[in-house]
Amino acid sequence: MEPKEILTLKEITKSYGEMRALSPLSLRIKQGESVALIGPSGAGKTTLLNIFASVIQADAGEFEISGKPAHRYTSAKQLARKVGMIRQQFDLVRPLPVIHNVLAGRLGEWGFFKSLVSFIFPQEKDVAARALERVGLADKIYEKTANLSGGEQQRVALARLLVQHPEIILADEPVSSLDPARAEDVLAMLVNLANEENQTLVASLHSVELAKKYFTRLIALREGTVYFDLPVEEVTDESLSELYDLVEMKDNDAKAAVFS
Amino acid sequence: MMRKLLYFHKKNVLTLFLVLVFILSLFSVNWGPELLHAGGLNALQEMVAALFHPDLSPYILQLALIASVRTLAYAVTGMSIAVLIALIFGVLASGLLSSGRWNRLLSMSGFRGLLGFMRAIHELVWAWLFVVAFGLTPYAAIFAIAIHYGGILGRIFADMLNDVPPEPIQALKASGASRFQLLLYGYFPAAAADILSYVMYRFECAIRSSAIMSFVGLGGLGYQIHLSLTDLKYDQVWTFLLFLIALVVLVDLWSQFLRKRMVA
Repeated sequence: MEPKEILTLKEITKSYGEMRALSPLSLRIKQGESVALIGPSGAGKTTLLNIFASVIQADAGEFEISGKPAHRYTSAKQLARKVGMIRQQFDLVRPLPVIHNVLAGRLGEWGFFKSLVSFIFPQEKDVAARALERVGLADKIYEKTANLSGGEQQRVALARLLVQHPEIILADEPVSSLDPARAEDVLAMLVNLANEENQTLVASLHSVELAKKYFTRLIALREGTVYFDLPVEEVTDESLSELYDLVEMKDNDAKAAVFS
Repeated sequence: MMRKLLYFHKKNVLTLFLVLVFILSLFSVNWGPELLHAGGLNALQEMVAALFHPDLSPYILQLALIASVRTLAYAVTGMSIAVLIALIFGVLASGLLSSGRWNRLLSMSGFRGLLGFMRAIHELVWAWLFVVAFGLTPYAAIFAIAIHYGGILGRIFADMLNDVPPEPIQALKASGASRFQLLLYGYFPAAAADILSYVMYRFECAIRSSAIMSFVGLGGLGYQIHLSLTDLKYDQVWTFLLFLIALVVLVDLWSQFLRKRMVA
């Protein structure tokens, strides 16, 4: 059976004042795909991910999640089951112990009373423990998050995603603040976990090497629209150097880069 | 050009102006022998001398100890109520719980206004008002501290909650957290260290305030200082003042200890 289409964009546009972040952009992503978004700064990668996450709304065009218009996912809980997001390491609540940051992935499912009790006596401890074990941090469960290293914090964020278990994982430069070795570790882990659960993964990345190594489909953005959209084995060095070729970029892009 | 130059030097111009005003003001002082009233210098000397010989007789020490405990009790009780008020009003004044722009604006301006009213009136004035209402009972002092400090703390709490970095909050929202959950798992933990250290600082202020307030006749260190001062017993005054200093220093040490634990 052909996998279902899970993310659909039709003729999406988005502007910030005078700045065009996305000019008409259309995309289809199927369930279980691992997609890397690449392209120069200011190409619209973060804007696109924020639209996927419903953090911002497009100015025009249609956006569907699993064939249903995104604005019809009205409750935070519904949306959290569909879409989860991981960014750079600063999206954890650093003064809290690791276990609370992991269990935050369950907040959408919990009522207020349960989350209040859990704040003092952590609930569903085994869920958190299992997730932390899968990211190799079982021994840090009661540690204060701020005391962990950058790579470890990013793995805590992964554990939170595991606990939230959304159908779609969005990752905005998930490893850009880590050193190269840590970056590969965390990215490999992210891709593996998503594949194991047949989750759809869309990640924006600085590094084309990492994108080619770990993802099956590369979508290159430039000037707010799709520059190429190819399976990884069809991406050529020429197309990549053209994508990042600054000499050919118009003046507009220099301005666009400021907004990235 | 001239305007730009003036703009560039506006700080210097203002400084110069203020210095001139100060110099002029010296001329309006009556530099005669009447500047200190007769015997004033003598009294000052006695006060300084008494600093080195505070009255350490058992009776005065016992009195000072009881007064200190009473002062501390007013401050602790008043601050506890103040923190409670501040947490509730502060959250409402931060507008984090309200949905929609108008609700938010209404909640923010309404509760910020209320907090402003509470702290605009000095705790001493509140104490007087309450003494009129309740008579000379500890409640007057406690409520005076609770209301004035509740107003200060609530406003600062609201500001601190509004200044929490947005990324972790966004992430919690994305995992489906409701407003109350955001408050519990996002805003409060992120602001907790700042809130605690500010409460401790204000607690120190509340002790001083509680001492002063007892001048009204509510008992405590201020009352004892007042009595000794009317008797011109400077050695006793210093004993009580030393107790007050000790209280403040102890609270400061405690707050440093707490903060170290929070940060580690």
